[in-house]
Amino acid sequence: MSGLFPGFLILSAAMFAIGAAGVLVRRNPIVVFMCIELMLNSANLALVTYARYTHTMAGQVFALIVIAVAASEVVVGLALITGVYRSGRRLDLDELSEMSE
Amino acid sequence: MSVVFGLAAVIAFLGALGVVLSQRTIYSAMSLVLNMVALAVLFLLLDAQFIAAVQIIVYAGAVMVLFVFIIALLSPGAEERLRSVELRLLLGGVGAVAFTLLIGRLTLNGITVGAHGRLHGALGPFSPVAVNAHGQVQTLGDQLFTTYLLPFEVTSLLLLVAAVGAVYLSRRRRQLA
Repeated sequence: MSGLFPGFLILSAAMFAIGAAGVLVRRNPIVVFMCIELMLNSANLALVTYARYTHTMAGQVFALIVIAVAASEVVVGLALITGVYRSGRRLDLDELSEMSE
Repeated sequence: MSVVFGLAAVIAFLGALGVVLSQRTIYSAMSLVLNMVALAVLFLLLDAQFIAAVQIIVYAGAVMVLFVFIIALLSPGAEERLRSVELRLLLGGVGAVAFTLLIGRLTLNGITVGAHGRLHGALGPFSPVAVNAHGQVQTLGDQLFTTYLLPFEVTSLLLLVAAVGAVYLSRRRRQLA
């Protein structure tokens, strides 16, 4: 069973790297938010993996908290995106980079 | 066990790639759902049944429905044209591969895991057998409301702030302008 331990961690690292690359590469803010979700998910995977293999509970508790944080982050982020959309701008991060009202 | 792990890992990996590489936003969202469901399977493999259920309910249920709703509402019809994206994609891909190799190397170097595939250091009291004997959700709840009470309360405060912030951000600004 513990032979799978590096597999979980490498999958988690790969997902985090893909999410980080997506945040840097994509210009659509909705996709960027989804990439952030991907990164949070990979962190969850690492937390639960360590909780399982060190026989502790902290990882699972904090995975739960990370899920709550991700949910609230999505709510605020999507509210921001709808606000930008309503102000009549195109949803393109390169054009919104100055972040001025 | 390892067959299920391999299958779920491949699906999760392909889902993650699909999020970044899809041309249409809605395909990205569907790839993310795929990724999250595969992750729930992995959580089940890791004896974290409650986290797996929460993953399905909160992420694949609530969060992704919110995403799809926003995509449908805003309908960013003109999808991202790949104008200067090729160089960026190349750089991003190289960075991602380098980071993964780095973490993989660090994972296998004998600091976290020894040569025999076991973690160094003493194991905690929550072995899967002990946890399942007491009940997985019961153990998690006990820990959440005793040892980790402060993070739990801070999380509730965070949810409140997020709800207030979302309402503030998304209301009409007629009186402000």
